[in-house]
Amino acid sequence: MPVFKLCMKIIRKHLPSMMIYVVIFLGIAILITTASTRSSSAGEFTQTKTNIAFFSGENTPLVQGLKKELSKTCNFVELPDETEKLQDALFFRSVSYIIRIPKGFTESFLNGGSATIGKTIVPDSVSARYTDLAVSQYLNIARLYVKNLNGISQEKLVNDVENDFSTDTPVELQASAQTASQNDFAVYYFNYLAYTLSAVLILGIAAIMLVFNNLDLKRRNYCSPLSAGSMNVQFILANFVFAMACWIIMVGACFVLNPDALSRPNTLWMVLNSLVLTLCLSGMSYLIGSLMKSRNAISAVCNVVTLGPCFISGVFVPQEFLNGTVLKIASFTPTYWYVKANNQIADLTSFSYGVLSPTLFCMMVELGFAAAFLAIALAVGKNRKRES
Amino acid sequence: MFSHIFITRLKCLLRDRQLVFWTLLFPILLGVFFNMAFSNLNKEETFQAFPIAVVQSDAYQKDTAFRTVLESVSKGSGRIFDLTVAENRQAADKLLAENKIKGYITVGDEIGMTVKNSGLYENILKAFLDSYRHTASSVSTIIKTDPAAVGRGLLNDLGAQKDFTREVPISSAKPDNILNYFYALLAMTCMYGGFWGLKEITDIQANLSPRAARVNVAPVHKLKAFLSGFCAALLIQSAEILVLLAFLMFGLHIDFGTKTVYVVLTALAGGLAGLSLGAFISALIRGGEGIKVAVLLAVSMTGSFLSGMMYGDIKYIIQQHVPILSYLNPVNLLTDAFYSLYYYDTFGRYALNMGLLGVSTFIFCAGTYFIIRRQKYASL
Amino acid sequence: MVIKVNNLVKRYGDLVALDHLSFEVGEGEVFGLLGPNGSGKTTAINCILSLLKYDKGEIEIFGKPMSPTAYDIKREIGIIMQNVAVFEELTVYENINYFCGLYISDKAERKRLVEEAIDFVGLNDFRKFYPKKLSGGLLRRLNIACGVAHKPKLIILDEPTVAVDPQSRNKILEGIEQLNRQGATIVYTSHYMEEVEQICSRIVILDKGKVIASGTKEELKSMISLGEKITAELFSLPAEKLAMLRKMPGVASAEYSDRLLVVKSEKGKNNLESVLNFLHSENIRYGRIYSELPTLNDVFLEITGKQLRD
Repeated sequence: MPVFKLCMKIIRKHLPSMMIYVVIFLGIAILITTASTRSSSAGEFTQTKTNIAFFSGENTPLVQGLKKELSKTCNFVELPDETEKLQDALFFRSVSYIIRIPKGFTESFLNGGSATIGKTIVPDSVSARYTDLAVSQYLNIARLYVKNLNGISQEKLVNDVENDFSTDTPVELQASAQTASQNDFAVYYFNYLAYTLSAVLILGIAAIMLVFNNLDLKRRNYCSPLSAGSMNVQFILANFVFAMACWIIMVGACFVLNPDALSRPNTLWMVLNSLVLTLCLSGMSYLIGSLMKSRNAISAVCNVVTLGPCFISGVFVPQEFLNGTVLKIASFTPTYWYVKANNQIADLTSFSYGVLSPTLFCMMVELGFAAAFLAIALAVGKNRKRES
Repeated sequence: MFSHIFITRLKCLLRDRQLVFWTLLFPILLGVFFNMAFSNLNKEETFQAFPIAVVQSDAYQKDTAFRTVLESVSKGSGRIFDLTVAENRQAADKLLAENKIKGYITVGDEIGMTVKNSGLYENILKAFLDSYRHTASSVSTIIKTDPAAVGRGLLNDLGAQKDFTREVPISSAKPDNILNYFYALLAMTCMYGGFWGLKEITDIQANLSPRAARVNVAPVHKLKAFLSGFCAALLIQSAEILVLLAFLMFGLHIDFGTKTVYVVLTALAGGLAGLSLGAFISALIRGGEGIKVAVLLAVSMTGSFLSGMMYGDIKYIIQQHVPILSYLNPVNLLTDAFYSLYYYDTFGRYALNMGLLGVSTFIFCAGTYFIIRRQKYASL
Repeated sequence: MVIKVNNLVKRYGDLVALDHLSFEVGEGEVFGLLGPNGSGKTTAINCILSLLKYDKGEIEIFGKPMSPTAYDIKREIGIIMQNVAVFEELTVYENINYFCGLYISDKAERKRLVEEAIDFVGLNDFRKFYPKKLSGGLLRRLNIACGVAHKPKLIILDEPTVAVDPQSRNKILEGIEQLNRQGATIVYTSHYMEEVEQICSRIVILDKGKVIASGTKEELKSMISLGEKITAELFSLPAEKLAMLRKMPGVASAEYSDRLLVVKSEKGKNNLESVLNFLHSENIRYGRIYSELPTLNDVFLEITGKQLRD
């Protein structure tokens, strides 16, 4: 199988540039794994805490009480009280809320004065609103005591408010939510897989195509005693083996990093989806390879074709954060359907045909893209042959 | 002589389509992708009234106090909730399962809630219910202590929520963290200008290309020839940077703040820094063009990553934990300069960044000079 | 003297590339620097051009010491490198114009010179072509045009015909002779002895960085002990006849094998007639018979004991 062997040699030569993508991918995957194991309190409602900076010009029992209550909904981040440092922290969301209690606030508060707390926030943000609620709640209840119980001591006031705040609203978590959060890692992993797979497949397959599309080499091949059919079979086989090897390695890494994933049907459906995507991307790579004439052009096209769809289809930024027009444009790329299918799979708790049908539809669209890419590639190839 | 070499170098550089792609078209495309992907992220962070449901029940109907409060926060422009009343629990469950609501409230012996996730919005719903609960508890405590309080208007006070906070803006600009991606992209493009510098060196050092050897044997001062070529590269680089900047500003409406003149000057200085970085790398590193390109790419991509081009928080993390790295990284110096211009009302940090950038540009230029000053080679 | 090289030594680490090399090139000469690959020809050229540092020795061009900043000397030199040294991004015309422009500032003058150079190498139909689209021979011609467009007094050609088809090669050699007729001094390096024999008026043979012989081609050939070589196809030659041949006056050696008789003559002797007479008188029938004069390869072979082209 000389043609097959040559293809494998070409792949081996381009392995370093492909490895860059794989290594970065695995690095990020490992990062996500370690990060996600830390917050594995699935199945229970968790109190979200926002990061805030707390500065106070006085340390009265009231301020202490406020801080104590806030600690239920906020993490206090220690920051130096310098404008630029605070600005940086706010810009990069290290904190989303900076509280500054002026000296004399407590006295004014207890006497019904008009002193206020300074706050610096990310304007209109959800987390600022959340912290606002907590601050306002504490102070309004405290005020209720101050106004209605004349002469209440500060200590008693803080004590009473703390007492009021000691009970919580009971929260129930809907059953399906549990699997969804369990699939977080798998969704991340498989979505990001789209980027790495497309980069590696384009680089590899296009490199093979480039060599075989060299006109002199083509002529030499035609003159060899090997039949065109056998040559094509070997050629296609080589590309197929390469694509499958990439797929197996990437998917395999998922189960090495997260062995539990293997036991969930959701993950297995994602594996199937990624296989469909691999076929589709192989078709795309084949098309790119048959259109490109130089290695430099391939690396340019590879970057645009992999980064573009990944940005707009929800690989780097989740689909729910993308706006409608962008998603409409994205729906002309197979990556969009792949990510959409993955997101749907992650939410599944049962696997009947009825529930799966939208996902299967997405996969069919991916296969449709694969067929289209191949058809165009073959048409291009035929035209080329006529020209030369 | 200057114009002869300058014009020819302009042609040589501009006809290198591959370089034009990487130094101009690729950043523009990335900018478009960024813009498409990030355009909604700010909106996502912005608080919007969110849908919840309350399950219809006798207890809910009877609890007028709660109903009034709930309805009042679901009305008007400052509302928190878009409230629906679900016929029964099954209906509410269905709404929740279909993601039509973030959660629902059940009123029975106790007021409770059901949600799917533990997100911020779900927590706001809980904070609201908690506040009702806490207020109720405080009212009963007060009445227990002093029943006369009711007569003095306790219930009126309940309705009069007061805001004890006042917003103190820390900057005249909005802390829009998406901007940093575009600043880093512009900084990366400046460094990509290094490809031009790399090419100029290859075409002037006789031990790197036969073309350069031919120029070396001509009766032209080598540094003059190099300077003419470098000027051609600088012109192209500056033009490209300005095109990209204009595209970001007017095409994608990226906010660079109000100090536009400084922004333009910073971008041009960045272009020069990138160009000299490329020249320096090319002069310093022995080996083929592939290795030089790889080193330049590695430097600029690592630099961009550490400046938050792929993951915005990295810039802040580096600044917090390894500040020295953020001062050594020219991509970060530039990114931070744009950021300072946009966000700070003072010039201190901007000046620091530009100063360091100037120092590194000087080092790159001086290093390049000392390497190419040599006119005879040990080997070709 | 146009070029004077005195005691030039160049080392690459332990390897001595040029070993006390000395030679001179006179005005109007076509000077050949002949030697096998790796003998130091290109190194010598690069030292002469002040591109390479050297460890010892002096180099003078036009009677003045050569240095990287000796611009008045450089202005009169044209160089054609072994590797094609042109810009991929510039057309044929632009390439020649650019390099010519490094020597000639006046635009009108330059335009004329560039046109002449294009005519000279016969690239008129290709002036708008980019180097990528030119065949190997045409590319070499462009390479030459870039070196000579400014009409230098001294032209240095470093293996300009490597990997060139015979047709282009002849064109190039003719061109060099034409440049010489127009008054330029030529320094020509090659490992093709035929070329050097064809065009060079004086030759230096290099081996391992040393001059092993120098002079005109006739002088060189006369240095060696052998003269004419006669080859004849014979069906058979008895041993005693061979012995008689060996004893003939003026014959240095005679060998017979594979039906080929090779008779080598002593220096300055011509034996074709006497060998023919001998064959006739002994009634030995022969097929083809021919005689060759010694080549530079024989010179090199005799001095170094190895072939010029290995």
